[in-house]
Amino acid sequence: MADYEERRSLLGEEDEGSFAGRQPPRGAGKQMPAICDPSHLLHRVVVLVFMCFLGFGSYFCYDNPAALQTQVLQDLNLNTAKFMQLYAWYSWPNVVLCFFGGFLLDRVFGIRLGTIIFSLFVCVGQVIFATGALLNRFWLMEVGRFVFGIGGESLAVAQNTYAVNWFKGKELNLVFGLQLSMARLGSTVNMNIMGWVYSQVALMVGSTGYTALGGSLMIAGVTCLFSLICALVLGFLDKRAERILNKEQGNTGEVIKLTDVKDFPFTLWLIFIICVGYYVAIFPFIGLGQVFFIEKFNFSPAEARAVNSIVYIISAPASPILGFMVDKTGRNVVWVIVAVVATLAAHMMLAFTFWNPWIAMSLLGVSYSLLACALWPMVAFVVPEHQLGTAYGFMQSIQNLGLALIAIAAGSILDNRGYLVLEVFFCACICIALMAVVMLYFVDYLKGGDLNRSAAARAKLQKESTSDAEIKRRPSKPTEGELARLAPMSAFGLRNRYLSRLGAQLPDHCSTHLSSLAYRSVLK
Amino acid sequence: MAAAALDKRSGGVCVFLLSFVLILCQTLVHGAEPYKRQLSVQLYPNYNSTPPGGDLLHVRAVGDNDTLHFLFCSQGAPTLLIVHTNTSSSTMKVWPQVNWPEFWARNTSGSLTVEPQSSVLYSSAIVLSRVRNASSRPLLEYDDVNDTAEPTSGFFPPYELKDFHWLPLSLRSPTALLCGADPAFGNGSLCLELSVFDSEGRVQTLPRLLHSANSSQLDVWLDGILPRSSNSRFLLELQSVGGAYPLSRVDIRQSIDDEFTPSIFKVSQWVSSVNGSSDVLGFVQWKPVAYRHTQPVLEDATPCRHSDPQAQSGEAAAASSGLIRAFYSNPEVMGLNMSFGLAGEPFYNSSRFLSWTVLVGVGSPPVDSFSPMVITIMAVGLGTPMVLLLLGGVCVCLHKKRAATAATYEPIN
Repeated sequence: MADYEERRSLLGEEDEGSFAGRQPPRGAGKQMPAICDPSHLLHRVVVLVFMCFLGFGSYFCYDNPAALQTQVLQDLNLNTAKFMQLYAWYSWPNVVLCFFGGFLLDRVFGIRLGTIIFSLFVCVGQVIFATGALLNRFWLMEVGRFVFGIGGESLAVAQNTYAVNWFKGKELNLVFGLQLSMARLGSTVNMNIMGWVYSQVALMVGSTGYTALGGSLMIAGVTCLFSLICALVLGFLDKRAERILNKEQGNTGEVIKLTDVKDFPFTLWLIFIICVGYYVAIFPFIGLGQVFFIEKFNFSPAEARAVNSIVYIISAPASPILGFMVDKTGRNVVWVIVAVVATLAAHMMLAFTFWNPWIAMSLLGVSYSLLACALWPMVAFVVPEHQLGTAYGFMQSIQNLGLALIAIAAGSILDNRGYLVLEVFFCACICIALMAVVMLYFVDYLKGGDLNRSAAARAKLQKESTSDAEIKRRPSKPTEGELARLAPMSAFGLRNRYLSRLGAQLPDHCSTHLSSLAYRSVLK
Repeated sequence: MAAAALDKRSGGVCVFLLSFVLILCQTLVHGAEPYKRQLSVQLYPNYNSTPPGGDLLHVRAVGDNDTLHFLFCSQGAPTLLIVHTNTSSSTMKVWPQVNWPEFWARNTSGSLTVEPQSSVLYSSAIVLSRVRNASSRPLLEYDDVNDTAEPTSGFFPPYELKDFHWLPLSLRSPTALLCGADPAFGNGSLCLELSVFDSEGRVQTLPRLLHSANSSQLDVWLDGILPRSSNSRFLLELQSVGGAYPLSRVDIRQSIDDEFTPSIFKVSQWVSSVNGSSDVLGFVQWKPVAYRHTQPVLEDATPCRHSDPQAQSGEAAAASSGLIRAFYSNPEVMGLNMSFGLAGEPFYNSSRFLSWTVLVGVGSPPVDSFSPMVITIMAVGLGTPMVLLLLGGVCVCLHKKRAATAATYEPIN
């Protein structure tokens, strides 16, 4: 409230200034129109639109290879292992960048310049990628994906930082949700439209082949250009708001200290194993899904793309709902077990039956969302807040490492051994995650059950520690997640909370702030 | 502490479980002694004489209480004849042996018989009669729902395999290679490779069909043929010839197992059965895939389709193939067309190579089963979390008990 008052008064002053210094749009009236007033909701809505579309391009283009899998394989005469390199090259830079994205944004570029630079990377990366296809030079395409990867993940961090900066204390939760839905929308639209784009380009060019492929990837690149424009507009609006409201430039607030790694508890390592084991069975699978559905279930290419995108479609509405549910019930470990078992069941259905894949993929979509909601917030329970940035950065980093390696492995398994063995391999990865989560359950139980406490028990504990805190003014052991949560929240902590609300997905990249959370792969 | 102990124990259990499952799988897979046949190969006429009209290869596969005779002949259209007899001593006779001219003349039936005649359980032959070359519609027509296996337009006159110039059969143990060409082929050729097996197994090149001791494998490839149009596709016309029960229907079996032929989830089998009963006497089995390179890998795969088998004239088949004429007096013939490549697939021109593999045999066609690797991974993957769950449960119980016992002694004050 006080904050708001202060801003009002600042706004008042600035208003005068702006009236004198710059021309308000109509030149008359003391008050700016609501849409131009940075403190007004309407203006923030406009900003929100740009914010949402900021990430649209990179989400759209990330899954271009999956959407055009048959065409890429045929036009460039690739085998699947090479095809999956396109995904691996996206992940490689992020093995390192997860630790530095936030630092670059905070200390080196600043949020505005940083966002523009990362958008440029995304744009240039996609253009290189498309040029590689146009010239039928596969190595150039790999370079393109690498450059694209440098920009993509960090752009997600920037997007989240902008969100926190503009909406902190207001509609932040909703904004994260909207950004997430927008990301899913980008992926879904890509999956379902690129085949059509390709056939139109092929008609125009006169034949299929790498020229048509390059052309359609160039067209996909328009979305990146669009996102770049959004970044420029956002930069301008943010600068303007800074001048008018006299506020500070947004900060990711993330602190990464690699030496923290040695202090990570055993449970956190188990969480890492779950994270890697689980996600490597999701994203590489989606990358390879289209041809799988065509070959095994005789789907038409359009239908195959649709069923492949159902995971994203489901997770858009399911993430907030499941996140709410997990928040209300607690017992995160049990939810993770449920999600992992459901995913295992879905993969086994795809591997060993001819049942309609809509069933398995829908189950996969729900369990994927559930896992995200239950798994990522657990990190906040097992490490103290000051190590959270490092923990999330580390988690994303090894996740990217896992994704890059498994993508290549999955491609060559498919080439040599076929889809059954590939699915069995994915099942094995999920089984590793399952072993880790079962161990996590018992370890946590023997340790006293922080992670698997019900929401009611957590609330009770929180109450007790609150009264404690009132006496002591400061909660005692920072290692206790519950207590740590009681401390006044930093922007980082706040975001973390939102993350936990929204589920992993957010942390992944939305929370980003959670710093490293910016991980796009989770959102994909 | 507790966690570490849990860890160590579960590691031991993993190893134990793994070795247990491995042994189990091995006994399951290799437990039964594989069925073996003794193979003997004979090429007629003798190696040193030039064949007047084509070679005849005879492979005798003697089992415990039956014999399979595989006859492969390039007299006219290439033909593979399988005769199944119920004795392990039956002999195939080119009869009368002296009268080769009659066999080569190809106008009398009965110049080739199996003695004793009553021992014949089943016989069936496959004739490759024609190769057709079709110019396909433009590539861009993606959504042509009626894109049937048999293109309806753009056919060039067929190449008749009976008129080909066949090179002498070359025996490359354990296979026999037969190549031939039409003058219009340029430098290209059509080759057939016959492999006969003494026991169950797989050939290591794609499509890695599972074969039994009761089957032989025929690889067909079109190498370097000068196509008559740039949008060329090929069709192969197959005829099956039988006495009483020719191969009548094509069953398509779906299989979840594509481990040996990646991305192919179907097996087509052209079977003969007695009056539609489920007992299968003989079969031709293939996977609906052809490959565009000599050393095939997954991305060289091109789909193929077959038409429905249709009855054809027995006389025409006998006229085109010397072996059919010599063995069958009254052949029943069914024919079908295999077409390679669908709309949207690269044309023959792109690689100038196409290979396709079929299995021809008697009895029921072999069925793929999961490999030990798949079973092992799944067993270990699913078993270990279960074991962990059990162990963890026990640990927790013990822990609780200990806590409870400790509690009974503790509250002194």
